[in-house]
Amino acid sequence: MIRAAAQRLTIILLLAWMPAALATAAPGAPQTRGEPPVDARMLDGAAASAPVITDNVRARLLAERAVVAPGDTLDLALVLDIRAHWHTYWRNPGDSGEPPRIRWTLPDGVVAGAIRWPLPTPIAVGPLVNYGYSDRAVHLVDIRVPADWPVGEPIPITAQASWLVCEEACIPEQGSFSLTLATDAAAAAPPSAAVRRLFATARAALPEPGVVAARLTRGDDALSLRVPAAALPASVQAVHFFPDAWGLVDHAAPQPWRLQTGADGAHLLLELLPGDAAASVPATGLLKVTSADGVRGLRLDATATAAAAPGPAATASAAAPAAGALGLPLALAFALLGGLVLNLMPCVFPVLAIKALGLAGQGGAPFSTRALHGLAYGAGVLGFFLALGLLLLALRAGGAAVGWGFQLQSPLFVTLMAYLFVVLGLSLAGALTLGTGLMGLGQGGGGPAAGHLGAFGTGALAALVAAPCTAPFMGAALGYAMTVPWPAALAVVLALGLGMALPFSLLALSPGLAARLPRPGPWMETLKQALAFPMFATAAWLLWVLAVQTGPGGLAAALTGMLVLAFALWVQERARYARAPWPRVGVGAAVLGLGVALWLGLGLAGRDAAAPGVTATGTAAGAGDSAALPAQPYSAARLAAARAEGRPVFVNMTAAWCITCLVNERVALGRPAVARAFAEGDILYLKGDWTNRDAAITEYLAAFGRNGVPIYVYYPPAGAPRVLPQVLTEGIVLTQIGAG
Amino acid sequence: MRLPAIAIATAAALGIALMTGTAAAAPAVGEAAPAFTGTDTTGKTWALADLAGTPVILEWTNHDCPYVVKHYQSGNMQALQREAADAGYTWLSVISSAPGKQGHVSAEQADQLTASRNAAPTAVLLDPQGDIGKAYGARTTPHMFIIDAQGTLVYMGGIDDKPTTSLADVEGAENYVRLAMADLAAGEPVDKPITRPYGCSVKY
Repeated sequence: MIRAAAQRLTIILLLAWMPAALATAAPGAPQTRGEPPVDARMLDGAAASAPVITDNVRARLLAERAVVAPGDTLDLALVLDIRAHWHTYWRNPGDSGEPPRIRWTLPDGVVAGAIRWPLPTPIAVGPLVNYGYSDRAVHLVDIRVPADWPVGEPIPITAQASWLVCEEACIPEQGSFSLTLATDAAAAAPPSAAVRRLFATARAALPEPGVVAARLTRGDDALSLRVPAAALPASVQAVHFFPDAWGLVDHAAPQPWRLQTGADGAHLLLELLPGDAAASVPATGLLKVTSADGVRGLRLDATATAAAAPGPAATASAAAPAAGALGLPLALAFALLGGLVLNLMPCVFPVLAIKALGLAGQGGAPFSTRALHGLAYGAGVLGFFLALGLLLLALRAGGAAVGWGFQLQSPLFVTLMAYLFVVLGLSLAGALTLGTGLMGLGQGGGGPAAGHLGAFGTGALAALVAAPCTAPFMGAALGYAMTVPWPAALAVVLALGLGMALPFSLLALSPGLAARLPRPGPWMETLKQALAFPMFATAAWLLWVLAVQTGPGGLAAALTGMLVLAFALWVQERARYARAPWPRVGVGAAVLGLGVALWLGLGLAGRDAAAPGVTATGTAAGAGDSAALPAQPYSAARLAAARAEGRPVFVNMTAAWCITCLVNERVALGRPAVARAFAEGDILYLKGDWTNRDAAITEYLAAFGRNGVPIYVYYPPAGAPRVLPQVLTEGIVLTQIGAG
Repeated sequence: MRLPAIAIATAAALGIALMTGTAAAAPAVGEAAPAFTGTDTTGKTWALADLAGTPVILEWTNHDCPYVVKHYQSGNMQALQREAADAGYTWLSVISSAPGKQGHVSAEQADQLTASRNAAPTAVLLDPQGDIGKAYGARTTPHMFIIDAQGTLVYMGGIDDKPTTSLADVEGAENYVRLAMADLAAGEPVDKPITRPYGCSVKY
């Protein structure tokens, strides 16, 4: 095991230094509009108003045909072509805004229906979310002509329309539109293809006729919406619920969903945050469903059973078998085991090595001191895991789709970790004196109390750096933890911490240890300095993760922060032993430097929301992948399509910050034999990148009862998918895909 | 710079993860109004805690928003401010527009707006970081909140029931704030304590 760990460590070093060059930022795709603006040349055979051109919208009223027979109905369309990046609103505009209105002036007996609203899109404006339309909004209205209308008598139609159009600022605009419909069939010219297409496109964008009966369960701080799976397309990729009225749901909250099977059959469960008036607003709305077949809009009515509060249905994932079968005792055992193995994983190993060094330095210390030291270390690990577990549970309760390692999805967190490792590295290399406490290195000075505090800190540090690694057994245990009530979930997380703390704590507590430890000597200083390099390597790797997340701008900010921090700490170091005011000046400089570095890091905090589009393609493939095995980005549609064809599929969910993932790709998936086997078996290799938050991947993980990456799943041409271990070898992969 | 370095970095990292991952808890009618401290255009500090014993009205505003313009050009908002002052309310207009965004003003500009529009708030709070706005979940301008003398949030929502920018809609609208003030004056609970706020988004 030790040799394997050492080998992995070497690979980490290589990985950490190399891939900065691989990071690329994909430029945003240019905005394209589905249809060109309607202009006069396209209006042959249709009746159309003169256009109304405002600062932000080009609007006109069109009739589907120029001629209507008495007793007949035809559609009109108020078409708003909206300036790029601006938007207009749906009938429930969301957090702010206002839907368009039309006031009709019609001859007696001619009646206009209500606006038929196309499916909206959520539009984020700062922390708020609106529902509306970009580029083009087509509002269909039907006009009914009475049967006794005299044939040949034209029908004059006038509409006063007003709409609010916003980018971030909002402008109310309006226009008056007039057109005349003929009732004499002889006057008819068929409408042009462009007009027919415009109306066809508009009808396709409407919600489907009919209403799906859904169920809404109102909890204290959550709403659960259940939609029968029978009403949904196969292989749902994304859903969004748009309430008909303000107040039912928090418009800006994420809407995590999953497919499950309960006592009431298979259904889609959508978790919503209640709005300001959730108890009183009728539970109706639209469900926008994206699948391989395209986008559909379903009208939902959940008013009938809104009060019913069923017990927790026995849920079994619809996407995969083998979820959640783990009981609590087994989950605890797995977590403990996973924690133990975590000590050998590359993230934790350098910290542990330093810790062991500290222990060697204490060889002569009395047993009680060492024992306390070991216990303090254990407490540090457990304290960190407790905090992390509570945070994870709190975030999930808040509806965020997060999983193990989620903190590394925050660029700010990654930056702070990089700072921390640079400072630790500088300290180990001897450039800085961070004092006795920090690493528990026992360099003299500082009493035993400081040493124990240091041990606690090292424990927390070891747990902190463990996040990017997943050990065998951990995935199943953590996945289980996220499906059970919080006391059991915390127990699992703590068991993981206990497993991680156990080896070192036991070592410190074992009485005969002192005799067996090597004698302290100058070799310790050499080793200590050498251990600075794993620290720098980790920092370099974290910077690469940051570059993937934020692009070159974020990288520059973080590097500047490091420079300022290192300089400030150097100033403090030089001033430390100078005369009276200087040491204080040095401390001031250090605090100032830390402040500037944090401020630079804070500038990155807002970036995570914007990132998915930047990193969705290209970078995941760059994440330590060798070119031998070509991957396609994961999507549920690709997976379903390949499965339907009977083509075998290998799914790999990874993240740039997941060291375990990168190592697996390097030592197993990247091997020529594996690439050959994939090619010979015509296996489709799908890779999902969880470096930034991605609900679809979180969903996929949940379907397998998992809560973090990596996960490797092989789908044979027929039969159930096989989940591979989280630590791969070439042999394991070849055996599992049947080529070994 | 000894142990605290690790402790601070860990705490900061966890805290930041929390900040980026969750929204603030929403205020709830019938419960204590979220505490706030803000600075007005004269530099005076206003804290909700110091206002115990007097009822408070919070008005989110942005002078360039067409919905705000509607209520100031019609004189509706000013009239309401004077009625509230006569009834003993502290009326705080809050500007949560971030620097560089629509509606962000300096203290002098805010005072000029008050003077030129003949407005009568007790004070105008400058909230460019959006702290007060986010604590209250303020989404629109205008967005109105009423806090009773005991510090309980008793109303949140729109100014009236006509969500348009048309001045003509002020007359004949059901002014929820005026109705709530009447309910409170009569010692009764507010009949419509939660309504839809309408307007422009707050420019955080």
